[in-house]
Amino acid sequence: MIRLERVTKMYAASTRPALDRVSVEVGKGEFAFLIGPSGSGKSTFLRLLLREDVPTRGEVYVSDLNVARIPRRKVPRLRQRIGCVFQDFRLLTNRTVAGNVAFALEVIGRSPTTVRRVVPEVLDLVGLAGKAERMPHELSGGEQQRVAIARAFANRPPLLLADEPTGNLDPDTSQDIMLLLERINRTGTTVVMATHDHAIVDSMRRRVVELDLGRIVRDEARGVYGVGR
Amino acid sequence: MRGHLVVREVVTGLRRNVTMTVAMVLTTAISLALVGTGLLAVRTIDRTEQLYSDRVEVQIALTRDVSIADADCSGDVCAGLRARLESSPQVAAVRFESQQQAYQRYRELFAGQRLAEVVGPQSLPATLRVRLADQEQGAAAVRELMAGEVGVSTVIDQRDVVGKLFDFLGGVRNVAFALAVVQAVAALLLISNTVQVSAFTRRTEVGVMRLVGASRWYTQLPFLIEAVLTGVTGALIAAIALLAGKVLFIDRLLAGIVSANVVPPIQVADVLWVSPVLLAVGAGIAGITGYATLRLYVRL
Repeated sequence: MIRLERVTKMYAASTRPALDRVSVEVGKGEFAFLIGPSGSGKSTFLRLLLREDVPTRGEVYVSDLNVARIPRRKVPRLRQRIGCVFQDFRLLTNRTVAGNVAFALEVIGRSPTTVRRVVPEVLDLVGLAGKAERMPHELSGGEQQRVAIARAFANRPPLLLADEPTGNLDPDTSQDIMLLLERINRTGTTVVMATHDHAIVDSMRRRVVELDLGRIVRDEARGVYGVGR
Repeated sequence: MRGHLVVREVVTGLRRNVTMTVAMVLTTAISLALVGTGLLAVRTIDRTEQLYSDRVEVQIALTRDVSIADADCSGDVCAGLRARLESSPQVAAVRFESQQQAYQRYRELFAGQRLAEVVGPQSLPATLRVRLADQEQGAAAVRELMAGEVGVSTVIDQRDVVGKLFDFLGGVRNVAFALAVVQAVAALLLISNTVQVSAFTRRTEVGVMRLVGASRWYTQLPFLIEAVLTGVTGALIAAIALLAGKVLFIDRLLAGIVSANVVPPIQVADVLWVSPVLLAVGAGIAGITGYATLRLYVRL
């Protein structure tokens, strides 16, 4: 599903590369954690997949697309294949729960019929069927993140990227969110999640790719966060 | 592309940013009104040239002694001059105006003014008024013909006088266009700034659009429509202002010289002719500025 080949990313402001000859592959339908301390290159990793940035050297593939080489006008098509969830939810505060999910579909040109059909479906999937008309500020943090996941998943992307999705949530709520991501993963969606959350990584026992100073220092099929970190 | 969604975005954008929007509309309106004034001046210049091309005469003022002695151009000197002029192929007609006639006309022209009482018939020269057959070279030919002739005091080409009027109209045009350029720079900066502010206030929406893969065009369109809409509104206000200015101000100001047939009147049709130009300029410039701003300053 995604493949990085000896990817190096240098930022002008820094002498040390944010990513240093990183090669990794995540297969279709896999669930992988991307862990490591702040500044280890997790965010850069995700940004390269989204073509928010291009690598200084090396190749990045998402399904069959060579991400750094696609022309700019085709970037939206790449992003339509990738769902994104963030620590800060990034909901539109002036729209309802359903409105937030609908927005994501409307702006990529889905027909009103499709939007009306898909929005309740996906809200049901994330467990918010009864709260479609609430405003985001009326929801708990966990519920807001569910809306964000619903929005990311509404277009049924084959790849879901999650950047610290539990960073603002308490442990119980975090567990619920993980169950939801697992459920989405079971539909065949590849999930790559960057996190600091020891408890979650340890309890899930999924693939763990650890970055440190821009290099992959560990890649285990059923890993834990690591002792003493 | 869903039209109503774009409209919704545009309306939200304009409402959120209402003070900037008003400033942008007003600046654009002033700039375009000045452009319109300049264009109207150009049009008036063209019309005035037409108006004068067949009316302008060359006047040959006769010397004082001839003027006093000859009341109907029957004397040798005046008749001789007249015959010479009439024989020239570049002359269409020659008319004699005696001192008395000149005085009558003078009194009419300056009726009610003190100047009219100061001047007596004797202070004005009798003139031979020549209508030219050839507007381009005729004046020079007449000047040459009359130079140094006995009885000729001066040769006055009315086009020299009319030229001053053209200079004035040309000045109005230049000032209007110069001010329009200055205002246009202000308008451009405001449009650019408003687009940036607008993009900033909508950064969450724009961020989501980017992430879910909305096309660049779709993301930009609301901003561009906003810019074009303010440009068009500015142009409409400018057109209305020109019309109001014509009716309330210019018409009154020019009433005297228009009725004396010195300059042609500015007609409603002229303003209507200028308005679409202003609309196109307003919409075009706002759109281009908006687009350039998005490309250069805003990451979409």
